[in-house]
Amino acid sequence: MSRKHPVCLDLEPDLIATATGEAGAAGVERVDAHVARCAPCREDLARYRVVDRTVRALRAAAPPDAEADGARARLRARLADLRSRLVTYAVFDSPLGPILIARSEHGVSLVEYLGRGGVAGSSVARLGDPEVAEDRADLERLHAELLEYLTGRRTRLDWPLDWRLARSDFHRSVLQAAVAVPYGAVTSYAGIAGKIGTPTAVRAVAQALRHNPLPIVVPCHRIIGTSGDLTGYAGNRVELKEHLLAVEGVRTERGAHPARVARQALYHYDPNDQREYCLPTCGSIARRPIGPVTLLASRELAETLGLVPCSACRPDVHPLPR
Amino acid sequence: MDDPGFESVVAAHHGEIYRYLRRVGRRASEADDLSQETFLRAYRAWRSLEPQANVRAWLFAIATNVYRNHARGEHRRRTAYDAARLRRSELDAGGPEEEAMASETRMLTEAAIGRLPLKQRLAFIMRKLHDVDYDTIGQSLECSAESARAHVFQALKKIRTNLDRHRPPTRECER
Repeated sequence: MSRKHPVCLDLEPDLIATATGEAGAAGVERVDAHVARCAPCREDLARYRVVDRTVRALRAAAPPDAEADGARARLRARLADLRSRLVTYAVFDSPLGPILIARSEHGVSLVEYLGRGGVAGSSVARLGDPEVAEDRADLERLHAELLEYLTGRRTRLDWPLDWRLARSDFHRSVLQAAVAVPYGAVTSYAGIAGKIGTPTAVRAVAQALRHNPLPIVVPCHRIIGTSGDLTGYAGNRVELKEHLLAVEGVRTERGAHPARVARQALYHYDPNDQREYCLPTCGSIARRPIGPVTLLASRELAETLGLVPCSACRPDVHPLPR
Repeated sequence: MDDPGFESVVAAHHGEIYRYLRRVGRRASEADDLSQETFLRAYRAWRSLEPQANVRAWLFAIATNVYRNHARGEHRRRTAYDAARLRRSELDAGGPEEEAMASETRMLTEAAIGRLPLKQRLAFIMRKLHDVDYDTIGQSLECSAESARAHVFQALKKIRTNLDRHRPPTRECER
């Protein structure tokens, strides 16, 4: 082979391509013309055709389907396992500062106001053993909905939730009770404690909400002290709580310290058989503790909840100024 | 929040990727593990894949990468031909004598493929047994399409040389 003529050497790529069906028309023509007068190359071409035929036979001799089917079944099991463990997250800008959102196959598992520590200091690491991967594209839709919500263009975040960061059944029941507090309504820690059937566990409820892994979507900002104090939020960032309440039309007293809701600017509902809601000036209702009493940002909300105007104070006739 | 899209990727491409890995590797268990690794990796990257991306080419590239990592970890490259892998092909026509000859040729060809340097072997199998285009082969092997083509041609030359060593010159002269 080393004594090949330079012309034959030059032709070799075209010759191999011709024998194995990869040559263009020009290549084939060139090879045809050459092998007509060159016996060694004619022999070469025939040999490469044998190789080509053999390779085609190998193509047909694929491993049996059953083998691949078995492998595919095992793959599906592992994929299901991976899916259940995989958590994706991304950090987005928002009117409330940088927010991290994480989700799994089951739903949103973490919403977090990022502090100075950034992602490294966040709870993403606490998501346990799952595989955690940053994926902005995956979470972009949630971010868009969150922005709409924070700017008052959306009143619901109907996200499936993954409760994996709930620390106990009690924790989870508190978070789920908080989800049931509607947009524009305010209740208290005592109110939630009563709702879940543990009326004396007010502090435990407050602690559970302090460790809310899903703020905003689990609206712990709608839960305040019985006296109307906003108490804490996201560490010591009560201003975020005020902001979120303001978006929902729940007013707070300007300049009050500690921050508190403006009860005189909110409708009141103290559960009664007639399902009547009241003005804050109705009898002594404004002095009763929040919790048993629910505060409502608007008459529309009251009506959505199936409540009717009080026949004594007539909130329908004398609505609160907006 | 499931990914029905990825299930269709598995359904459409797993068989081929499995066969590819079965051919470049040696044992069924190896192809099983490596095809799983390929698709688990693909699943992690799936949602960030461009919508218009060529999924098949993308999977070949991942599988090739998975196999190369695996091969690097293996101390011994396979040198001997595993006769147990031989399967008769229905395509071999002709009488018993020709059949035996064709079978021997196939055995020699498989042995030669098994002895190819890794990049040539991967390029050859992708091109000749799976019809993968040279651009994709180049991307999979981190080289140009031209280099990919050169790998395939080198592989063909080696296979042919190997056949020559074991058989008298062919009587076939047809073009």
